[in-house]
Amino acid sequence: MSKQNATFRSGASWVLPALVFWLALWWGIIGLLGIGPDLMPSPPDVLNAMIRLVTHPVGEGPLGVHVLTSLWRFLGGFALAVVIGIPLGFLMGQFRLFDWALNPIFEFLRYVPPIAWAPFAILWFGASFGAQAFVIFISTLPPILISAYTAMRSVEPKLIAAAHTLGARPLTIILEVGLPSSVPVLIGGLRIGVATGWMALIAAEIVAGTGTRAGLGYLILIGQQTLQASVTVGAMVVIGLLGWAFDSGLRLVERAAMPWR
Amino acid sequence: MRAMTPKRLLVSVAGILLPLLCWWYATDVARLVSPFILPAPSAVLDGLTRISGGYMGSSLTGHFVASLSVMLTGYLLALLVGVPLGVAMAWFPAVDRLFGPLLMVLRPIPPPAWIPLAILWFGIGLSGKVFIVFVAAVVPVLVNAYVGCREVPPNLIAAGRTLGARNRTILLEIVLPSAAPVILTGARISLGIAWATIVAAELVVADRGFGFLIMNGYRNFEANIMAGGMLLIGAVGVLMNIGFILVERVLLRWNHREPQDE
Repeated sequence: MSKQNATFRSGASWVLPALVFWLALWWGIIGLLGIGPDLMPSPPDVLNAMIRLVTHPVGEGPLGVHVLTSLWRFLGGFALAVVIGIPLGFLMGQFRLFDWALNPIFEFLRYVPPIAWAPFAILWFGASFGAQAFVIFISTLPPILISAYTAMRSVEPKLIAAAHTLGARPLTIILEVGLPSSVPVLIGGLRIGVATGWMALIAAEIVAGTGTRAGLGYLILIGQQTLQASVTVGAMVVIGLLGWAFDSGLRLVERAAMPWR
Repeated sequence: MRAMTPKRLLVSVAGILLPLLCWWYATDVARLVSPFILPAPSAVLDGLTRISGGYMGSSLTGHFVASLSVMLTGYLLALLVGVPLGVAMAWFPAVDRLFGPLLMVLRPIPPPAWIPLAILWFGIGLSGKVFIVFVAAVVPVLVNAYVGCREVPPNLIAAGRTLGARNRTILLEIVLPSAAPVILTGARISLGIAWATIVAAELVVADRGFGFLIMNGYRNFEANIMAGGMLLIGAVGVLMNIGFILVERVLLRWNHREPQDE
């Protein structure tokens, strides 16, 4: 998975000029072709829309409410995936019976895109919190579970043998040998989980429609439906910034948890 | 792949059958759940036969072709743009400096977030969906082409130079072949992503296609059509993955032989 995390080699000194170039290109094309703000806003339009969103309520409230609503849904599904995925992954890694029994189901489920669960999730858990949380759970469970599973499988066999010799029971081995030595792999799984979950959240909010009146996906959608593209693009910027912030945060945790890397 | 022991096979089959039995018992036999919430297995089979006999103006093949053609168009566009751009970014530092920051900014935006903008720009027709699939599929293709070309062993390039190869020859005969496995992996990852994205796009706006089946079932309280649509999407996902692995094996035959020769 390290390939997905590859950063491009452009040094920090080149980032700003390049971004200025792209912003100027965006602005220039809109000005030259005379594209209206209902189709594509200019950079200042987007900035204005974002500033207005901070203070003026849209739907349930101003931007802060939508951010918190989305974060809350995300956290609900993600926490559930962590609480279920990590123990289950450890069990599957340690006990062959669990592995044999559960593997075929996961093998099939991973071919159904998580977002395809959204309509059922709305039926089962309601459109405003449960549906998004469930879709996030479904989409983040596999990477988290797989990372816990691989972490357990890749524990140095000597460590396990040593613990056995000292009379440790399987549960003790999971908790005191497996868990500590698998932190790096686990954090890698969490990072993938955060990225896929964030994507699933936005998709689920868009599928749930404008009925919920809250969330960043709602903002994107309402901007389109009211022909205010600046709101849509502004919300996309916020979504991108938050996704980037999550990943950077987890990368810091990764570095703090394993200073030897 | 290790061979399945009889014991493992037994446990695996039980692992699949047990949930199916519970599902069947809860719906068909004991009727614990409303069919509007969770359809019975028999109802799902009914739904599948209804779909295959034609549903909402399109036959099963009609829905399938609708989803597949949009996905393949966006996917091929992603390959056509992503691979050359990734290679160019790896080969020419100037291209990298220009496009690298743009990608850094665009990548954290989840592809489904583009759906409303695509509707604004392209309407609800084919091109909007193609655009969304393209946005989603181009990233893994591009990143893998870039990384694959950057990770070519320097020895190979140095050897080529010593033998008097020019830049063009080095790119075409050393860098690209050696990056091919990584590029193909990216193409496979993004095929799965493209499929998931077209489902998301069809859930929002479509009048045919597998995602439309799910969404229309949802709107009409036909949970069995929803479940049927999900099964069809999963089945196509499995088939595509198998197909791509076969393609990979054919294209990279030289690469697969290597480990056996060692």
